Amino acid sequence: MAEVNMPRLSDTMQEGTITRWLKQVGDEVKRGDVLAEVETDKANMEVEAYDSGILERVVAQEGETVPIGQVIAIIGSGAGTLKGGQPEVLVTTQSGQTPPVAPSIHESAAVEQPSVFAGISAQQNGVGVNRMFIKASPLARRMAEEHGIDLLQVKGTGPGGRIVRDDIEDFIEQRTISPAAAMQPQPVQPVGAAPASISEISMADAEVVTLTSMQKTIARRLTESKQTVPHFYVGNEIDMTEVLKLRQELNVALSEEGIKISVNDLIVRACALTLEKFPEINGSYKDGQFVLHKKVNIGIAVDLPSGLVVPVIRDANTKGLRVIAREARSLVAKAQTGKLTPAELDGGTFSISNLGMMDVTEFVAVINPPQAAILAVAATRKTFVPIDDQPVIRDIMHVTLSADHRILYGATVARFLKEVKHLLQNPFLLLV
Amino acid sequence: MAEVSLRQVLNDTLREEMLRDENVFLMGEEIGNFEGSYKITAGLLKEFGPKRVVDTPIAENGFVGMAVGAAMLGLRPVVEIMTFNFIALAIDEILNHAAKIYYMFGGQTPVPMVIRTPGGGGQQLSATHSQNLEAWFAHIPGLQVVAPSTPGDARGLLRTAIRNNNPVLFLEHLALYNAKGEVPEGDYTIPFGQAKVMKEGKDLTVISYSRKAAIAYDVASRLERENKLSVEVVDIRSLRPLDGETLVNSVKKTGRAIVFEEDWRSYGVGAEIVATLQEDAFDYLDAPIKRVASVEVPLPYSKPLELAALTGAQELESAINDLAPRRRRR
Repeated sequence: MAEVNMPRLSDTMQEGTITRWLKQVGDEVKRGDVLAEVETDKANMEVEAYDSGILERVVAQEGETVPIGQVIAIIGSGAGTLKGGQPEVLVTTQSGQTPPVAPSIHESAAVEQPSVFAGISAQQNGVGVNRMFIKASPLARRMAEEHGIDLLQVKGTGPGGRIVRDDIEDFIEQRTISPAAAMQPQPVQPVGAAPASISEISMADAEVVTLTSMQKTIARRLTESKQTVPHFYVGNEIDMTEVLKLRQELNVALSEEGIKISVNDLIVRACALTLEKFPEINGSYKDGQFVLHKKVNIGIAVDLPSGLVVPVIRDANTKGLRVIAREARSLVAKAQTGKLTPAELDGGTFSISNLGMMDVTEFVAVINPPQAAILAVAATRKTFVPIDDQPVIRDIMHVTLSADHRILYGATVARFLKEVKHLLQNPFLLLV
Repeated sequence: MAEVSLRQVLNDTLREEMLRDENVFLMGEEIGNFEGSYKITAGLLKEFGPKRVVDTPIAENGFVGMAVGAAMLGLRPVVEIMTFNFIALAIDEILNHAAKIYYMFGGQTPVPMVIRTPGGGGQQLSATHSQNLEAWFAHIPGLQVVAPSTPGDARGLLRTAIRNNNPVLFLEHLALYNAKGEVPEGDYTIPFGQAKVMKEGKDLTVISYSRKAAIAYDVASRLERENKLSVEVVDIRSLRPLDGETLVNSVKKTGRAIVFEEDWRSYGVGAEIVATLQEDAFDYLDAPIKRVASVEVPLPYSKPLELAALTGAQELESAINDLAPRRRRR
């Protein structure tokens, strides 16, 4: 008998939501078969079987959100098949190390603990109660109860992943130190149950929406960013007249190839070239050190109905406009259909958020840690500009760079923006 | 307080009890002229004469039966069985007479007798002379079984044993006879069924008795000195009746326990203690209780093999390290 666990599909993933089971209880499963689709904080992913056999039990139902490492299904000989035994039951948490990316399966706890399974079916009452079976010492259970801790949120460090007193004490300590961080993965308030803090607002007139994994991640990471990264902001105005002319000429010339270069592609190119000269802006502040990345990987924020994703154009400084345009278009299309892979979302060293199409005069963005900076790009507008003391109409674009003051200082950022501006105002430089 | 050896304390206590109560008398093999195989009865024949210090034939069944009869008629015999291993011959007298008569005669006939006997291995006395059979006797209602680990406890427990109206098995350990310890002054007694916290600790509890309790105390004290772990040591002292309350309270504090015993693991004293703890301290347990006991073989004569078969400080320390919580308790 083998457990299928919620795989860890990206570095930041803490839980995943089963969107669809592709195999049903009783189905024969071969190693490598896709068992289910999982929505993570970053993408929709497939969970593959690592063992062959019969899908005996589906533990996590569609729509259910499960922490990584937790059992979502059982593959066995077929002897233990439990048809229609829904809702089923979670067996263990974190029953071992979860490999960094690949879906994982553990042969362990299920085999050692037949009594647990026996107990489950006996206890099923069929009214939709999801009883959680978690390996925890009696003392840990009692402490969790006394402190109102959900054992599902606690990582067990005892033998076989058992939750012991140390783990509960760690959890309590962490919760005391940073209530936001520790409380974050708590289950979302059910509809109708008002959190105490906003009880003054009548909940009767409100709709309470359960967050998707992605929305939870955005909420967590951006809160973390604003609370831990000291942001400062430097703005500039860039005359886009020349670069827009160039873009028009390029697009006419490239139209037969089906290539269309966007304003954003030009900004990506300008930033990528400039970042080569400003390693701190392409760096991270980490544990009291500056980490200067050798690669320039630029994330581009893509708006989605359900939130926001930031797919990454890798080695952007080595890529010409043609390649950048093609990759950006493909990433945006994948983002909109939920097909981005973790690899396409990881590893960004700098981000660009462009609200130019939305007629925004200016805005500031929140840094996407561990990156040190993010460029907020507003709309390009026809503006009177004094040239030789005469008012001239030019295409002016406002940009604001949000920077992490632990690694970046005002003058560096100002010089960076000046260089980006120089490239965009002398756009032939973008071609070489 | 004076530091006295356990051997000397036993001798002193027997003498005092004989002086205190003329019904107290001693029986056993070689306890008179030879003054005992381990010299526990040294000088007593000379002082009290052959009516009160009786050398017996090599016939455990006979003289233990005689002691039961003497006790029924009002005397207080203290019988020495030369080593615990020889007690097998007298089991019928102990099990079916000594332990039953007080009950079966409707409480009219107490059997106030004590059987003193040394057990334990480690002296290269081989398989038939090194055993720890206490679980057999602690199993029997009607008997009381005590096993001190220090001279101070030996004195208090032996007084209680002799003055008690029930048959008592008083377990000594060959390797403890020379152990020295402080012995309080005065006519104190230690009630049966009271465990002793030898050393307080926070990280885990080691429960033991007799020689192993002394070893546990040493190991725990060293770990504390080296600032490694804070180990609580509880000496049960009395196997029957067992003081569950003290054990449970200790585990409530530490959440983790090891039973350290010299007998064999299966069906041993540790099994009873573990069962008691899981019944009464379940919600306080942070890990399964460990048993550190002797290897389940007849004890070999060869010194290296004997050492390998007997459990000791090393085995205990490794179990402590296995079981210790990740973070130390403050």
